[in-house]
Amino acid sequence: MVNAEVTYRACDSEYNRLELGSDAGGPKQEIGIVIDNGFMAQTIAKIRLSAPYIAQNTRPGQFVHLRLPGLEAHILRRPFSVYAADARNGEIQLLYQTVGLGTEHLSTLPNGTHVDLIGPIGRGWQPPRDAKRVLLVGGGLGVAPLYSLASTFTTETEVHLVMGAQSADRLICWKPFSTYITEPCLHITTDDGSAGQHCFTTKAVKDLLEIGAFDYIATCGPEPMQKSVAALAAEHQTFCEVSLERRMACGIGACLSCVVNTTSGLQRACVDGPVFNAQEVIW
Amino acid sequence: MSKRGLLGDPTGHSDDHSLGSVDLSVNLGGLQMRNPVTVASGTFGNGKQYAEFFSLDRLGAITTKGVSLEPWIGNDNPRIAETASGMLNSIGLQNPGVETFISEDLSWLTNQDVPVIVNVSGHSASEYLAVIERLEAVETIAAYELNISCPNIDCGGMSFGTDHQAAFSVTQLCRQKTGRPLIVKLTPNVTDIGEIAKAVEAAGANAISLINTVLGMAIDSRRRKPVLARKVGGLSGPAIKPIALRMVYEVHQQVQIPLLGMGGICSAEDAIEFMLAGATAVAIGTANFTNPYSAPAVVDGLREYCAEQGISRITELTGALQ
Ligand SMILES: Cc1cc2nc3c(=O)[nH]c(=O)nc-3n(C[C@H](O)[C@H](O)[C@H](O)COP(=O)(O)OP(=O)(O)OC[C@H]3O[C@@H](n4cnc5c(N)ncnc54)[C@H](O)[C@@H]3O)c2cc1C
Ligand SMILES: Cc1cc2nc3c(=O)[nH]c(=O)nc-3n(C[C@H](O)[C@H](O)[C@H](O)COP(=O)(O)O)c2cc1C
Ligand code: FES
Repeated sequence: MVNAEVTYRACDSEYNRLELGSDAGGPKQEIGIVIDNGFMAQTIAKIRLSAPYIAQNTRPGQFVHLRLPGLEAHILRRPFSVYAADARNGEIQLLYQTVGLGTEHLSTLPNGTHVDLIGPIGRGWQPPRDAKRVLLVGGGLGVAPLYSLASTFTTETEVHLVMGAQSADRLICWKPFSTYITEPCLHITTDDGSAGQHCFTTKAVKDLLEIGAFDYIATCGPEPMQKSVAALAAEHQTFCEVSLERRMACGIGACLSCVVNTTSGLQRACVDGPVFNAQEVIW
Repeated sequence: MSKRGLLGDPTGHSDDHSLGSVDLSVNLGGLQMRNPVTVASGTFGNGKQYAEFFSLDRLGAITTKGVSLEPWIGNDNPRIAETASGMLNSIGLQNPGVETFISEDLSWLTNQDVPVIVNVSGHSASEYLAVIERLEAVETIAAYELNISCPNIDCGGMSFGTDHQAAFSVTQLCRQKTGRPLIVKLTPNVTDIGEIAKAVEAAGANAISLINTVLGMAIDSRRRKPVLARKVGGLSGPAIKPIALRMVYEVHQQVQIPLLGMGGICSAEDAIEFMLAGATAVAIGTANFTNPYSAPAVVDGLREYCAEQGISRITELTGALQ
C-alpha cells in the first residue's frame, strides 16, 4: 500500500501504551527539558522532552501549552498535542509542523533547553470500551494525537488508520503506527499520488465505510476534512469524535478565545475539547 | 532546578517572616484589600481555573469577567491574534448573563476568602442598572467595576466611555442604586482621558480603573485579510504599558479618588511603576495567560521590594514619583 521508494526517517516506536481514563492529574506548569529535537521531513519535526508529571498524566488526545523559550516578546503559548508519552521514563514527544515564527523557533532549540509547559490539558478521546472495529483518520499533522489513541486498543479491536498528506515527502510517521496497526489496515492517501492511493482521505474513508461497519471513528486534521468525515460517520450512524484547533490564549478555560459552536452552546476547545462528539459540533 | 520548582508553584509562596513587617494592605475607594494586586476582568475566568494553580486568597481581590443582564454570545472566531509584545482580542464579552453568573460562578468565588469585584457591562444605561439591582441582592460582593467601554445602543453604538456626559450619567445612575464601592473602568480610546475621569468622579465613583484595551487591528498579508473575524479588537499586554502608565499618571493629577492601574503588568517592577505614577492598586491581565502564577508572583515581588527599600507601608508608593 505504501510506495516502497519513499524513504522515511525512522520514528522511534515502542512507547508505552497510554491508558484511557479520567483519573489522571489535571494541568500543571512543568519545566520540560529538551532531550532530542529535529526534522523528520521538510517542515515536520519532532521534539522529545523530559516532563515526568505530564508524561505520567497525559491521556490520548490531550495537549500541552508551550511557552517559547527565548522569545518572551511572543507572549502567547503555543498548543501542541502530545504525540507520545512514556510514563516510565518521564518523557513526552510532540510532532510539529513549522508554519510560523513560534514553530520555526521551536525547531532550533538545542538539547538541554528548558521549556515551560502547561499540561496535560483538555478532554481526550473517549472511544466506546467495547469497540470491535475502529477507524482513525489523520490529515497531515492531524495524526499526532491519533498515535497514542491507537496504542490504547487491545488486539481484540481491529484498528484501521487512514492517513493523508499532500505528498509522499510529507507523509511521515506511519511506521510507529505499524506497532499497533497491521499493514492491511493502514490506508495511505496523497493528494498528488506520490504514495498510497491518489485521493483525499475522505474518499478512502467513504470507501471503507461502504465495505464494512465501524463502532468508532476518530479524526484530526484540517477542519474541512474533519467536517466531511463527521458527515460520512453520521450517514453510517457511526459514533465519531473530532479534535478541533482554535487559537488559544490561556489554554485553561479562562479567556474564551477558543470557543466551538456546539448543540449545547459555545464550548471551549481547550478544556471542553479539543476532542468533541462530532454530532454535537455545529460546523 | 534553580529558583523555579520543577512542578507547581514557581513563586514559592514566601512565608518568610523577615518580610512579615511590610504592610501591603490598601484601601481602594472603600474596598479593603490585603495587598494591592487584583486580576483584570476577562483574563481570569471565574477564578476556578487559576485556583488549580494557587490559592486565590493570596491576592488582594478577584475581578470577575464582565457580566450583562442577558447572555451575550460574543464574536466569531478567530477571536485573538498575537502581536508584538501583546495580543488583540475580540471575545465580545461573552457571558451567560447575570442569573447564571450568580448561581454558577459567584457562589463558588465568594467562598474563597478574597474580596470579589464584579465587572458589569451593558448596552444601555438601563441594562447596567438592572445588573446592579440584581447583584445588590447578593451579600457577598465586595465592589463593582463598571466597564463603560461597551457600545451604547441608545447612542448610535458609541462607547459610554468616550463621551464624558454619557460616562457621567451611567455612573450617576449606578451610584444611586448602590452603597458598595463603585469603580469605573475607563477606555484609553479617547482624546482626553482626564476629562472622562473627572466626569465619573463628579458622578460619585469611588475609584477609577484604567486602562481597558487599546483598539487595534492585525492583517494577514498573504491572505490579504484581517486576522480577527471582527476585523478590529482590543490590544493588551506589555505593548500597551507605556500608554497605560501615561494615563494613570495624567488621571492621578486630575482626580482625588484612588486608581486601579492596569495594562501590560507582568512583574512586581511593572506594578511599582504604576503605583509611582499614581495607582493605589494594580490588576494583572494578559500576563495570566503567559504565566498562570503572574499575579501571586507580583504580590511576592512587591513584598520583597518594600523590604529591600525599607518601606513599611506600600501605600507610601502611590504617586511617589520624584
Ligand atoms: C489543541 C491543539 C493541538 C495542536 N497540536 C498540534 C500538533 O500536534 N502539531 C502541530 O504542528 N500543530 C499543532 N497545533 C497547531 C499549533 O498550535 C500551531 O501550528 C502553532 O501555534 C503555530 O505557531 P507559530 O508561532 O509557528 O505560528 P504563527 O502563525 O506565527 O502564530 C501566531 C499565533 O496564531 C496561533 N496559531 C497559528 N496557527 C494555529 C493553529 N493551527 N491552531 C491554533 N493556534 C494557531 C499561534 O499559537 C499564535 O498565537 C495544535 C493546535 C491546537 C489548538
Ligand atoms: C481576553 C480578554 C478579555 C477581556 N475581557 C474584559 C471584560 O470582560 N471586561 C473588562 O472590563 N475588560 C476586559 N478586558 C480588558 C482587561 O481587563 C484589561 O483592562 C486589559 O487587558 C489591559 O490589561 P493587560 O494588558 O494586563 O491585559 C479583557 C482583556 C482580555 C485580554
Ligand atoms: S484558550 Fe482560554 S478558554 Fe480556551
